Amino acid sequence: MRPPHLTARRLVTTSVALVALLVATLVAASLVGPVHVSLARALATADSTDAVILFRTRLPRVLLGAVVGGSLAAAGAALQALLGNPLACPHLLGISGGAAVAGVLALVAGADTVSPVVPLAAFAGALGAIAIVALGARAGGRTTPHAVLLVGVVFNALAAAALMLVNALASYTQAQGVLFWIMGSLSTQSYGLLAAAALYGLVGLAWLGVHAQDLNLLAAGEEGAAQLGVEVERTRRAVFLASSLLVGAAVSVSGMIGFVGLIVPHLLRLLLGPDQRLLLPASFLGGAVFLVWADTLARTVLGPVELPVGVVTALTGGPFFLFLLRRHLRRGLA
Amino acid sequence: MTCRLLALLVLAGCGAAAPPPSGGVPARIVSLAPSITEVVYALGAGERLVGVCAQCDYPEAVARVPRVGGYLAPSVEVTLATRPDLVIAVPSPGNREAVRAIERAGVRVLVVHDRTLADLWASMRAVAGALGLPAAGERLVADVSASLGAVRDRVAGRPPRRVLMIVGHSPLVAVGRGTLQDELLTMAGGVNVAGDAGQVWPTLTLELVVARAPEVIVDAAMGSEEAGRQLFAGLTTVPAVRSGRVVPLASDTLFRAGPRVPEAAAALARAIHPEAFAG
Repeated sequence: MRPPHLTARRLVTTSVALVALLVATLVAASLVGPVHVSLARALATADSTDAVILFRTRLPRVLLGAVVGGSLAAAGAALQALLGNPLACPHLLGISGGAAVAGVLALVAGADTVSPVVPLAAFAGALGAIAIVALGARAGGRTTPHAVLLVGVVFNALAAAALMLVNALASYTQAQGVLFWIMGSLSTQSYGLLAAAALYGLVGLAWLGVHAQDLNLLAAGEEGAAQLGVEVERTRRAVFLASSLLVGAAVSVSGMIGFVGLIVPHLLRLLLGPDQRLLLPASFLGGAVFLVWADTLARTVLGPVELPVGVVTALTGGPFFLFLLRRHLRRGLA
Repeated sequence: MTCRLLALLVLAGCGAAAPPPSGGVPARIVSLAPSITEVVYALGAGERLVGVCAQCDYPEAVARVPRVGGYLAPSVEVTLATRPDLVIAVPSPGNREAVRAIERAGVRVLVVHDRTLADLWASMRAVAGALGLPAAGERLVADVSASLGAVRDRVAGRPPRRVLMIVGHSPLVAVGRGTLQDELLTMAGGVNVAGDAGQVWPTLTLELVVARAPEVIVDAAMGSEEAGRQLFAGLTTVPAVRSGRVVPLASDTLFRAGPRVPEAAAALARAIHPEAFAG
């Protein structure tokens, strides 16, 4: 069905289509919510409830959903290519676990849930996790995907245990805040936080994009890639760092939202092919669209009450993940 | 929920059992909730307490009483080691198994509820009855009712104000209908804007706060006052934000269904109708 190789034309048309879809999504999602909002009134009177709802509560949240969804999906695409495993997800390597532990510790130490201390602490935790996993997987000057996967998974398990410990020792009301942060939340009013997350997202995507062709060659085999001039070690390290930064930034501002980084890249790979030069930006845009819709559902379906967005992504992603797994089992690839 | 009378204590692995209390009036009481501790002291039976939960901190005299674990996770062993005649508990997310284990060990357990005002009166009477002090129980109910009535009278006749009471910042958890706190809010002259959310503790989307436009926001969440103000600062069309009526409220009296409930009601009334308390 899909053409055998990527042309510039296909890259441009797909990207433009996805960007258009994203813009339409952003506009539509901003107008949907448990409260009816009149766009005309919002634009006319800066001091109306419509304007406050639209520009202070909904728009920052919708935009953050796009940035976080895009970051997680792009990281997912890169990691799936790096680890050679289409079932890899951005939370697999323990970066989000490290961010979560640091963020939760900040909460329990008394930081306010609405202050920037928690995201900053979480980002520091993500950086720490990156360092630990990268150094832990490095042996004899080489960092193989296999080693990264093993060290990452173990680190993730340790982080999960640490989270459970903190949760057990924290008071009941603190534990509620912790749980909500772990399940993920896009509720924000801060354009500053959004800008920071967007910056990291775009820089991370660009960094990944630079190595996209190398990643394509690596997927075909290490030796072949080396012969074609790919610096294997450097590429792997760069891809790992870039995707980890994307994940760390996303998790620091929104908690651990699962399944976006798993199903969006996989779905797009089925539709568009495995060429990373197309798949990376497509995953970013597709992930943005998916998470914005998931969050719109989360904040609308129960009326005045909101569901954690991680619940919606899990309920849509969970069955899809099972379907993927079965497909792989049938093909004898798992 | 059950209130079984057993004649003897049986302690596994412990030598001689304590002699049965004469006439069935318990002399050694363990309280597994701060509200119950306050009720027991208010009934004048504080010296009978031989064990309290870790969160019990009022009145001051309770400091000398040994702790038997937390409100959420009481220790079965430590409780049984105090050889109680009666253990009084409130259902909490987490103490169900512990309370069952204490019952199975043969100790008399009284479970009371704390969800509504009706629960409050029933629990005071039940505890008083179990302690053999029914008259004191009736007096306590009358006193607390009268104090609550005084708060209600203070704000009577004033048009009720729209109030949002929150117990968590992120997630934004509000007090819903069907809670003691909601009843106190109404008694203090407020209308709960989150009352129709359909849940007892609804997690609200921020835009709901803007749409419902509360005149007073009572911030009973853990976390600094500043955090609460910052959370709502950008919502400039909300009357409570415009007039600076985001009022922090210390939560220990508000969340304990005990004799200090009128203090919480008075604090709420002062937050909602400050003019009624001026001068």
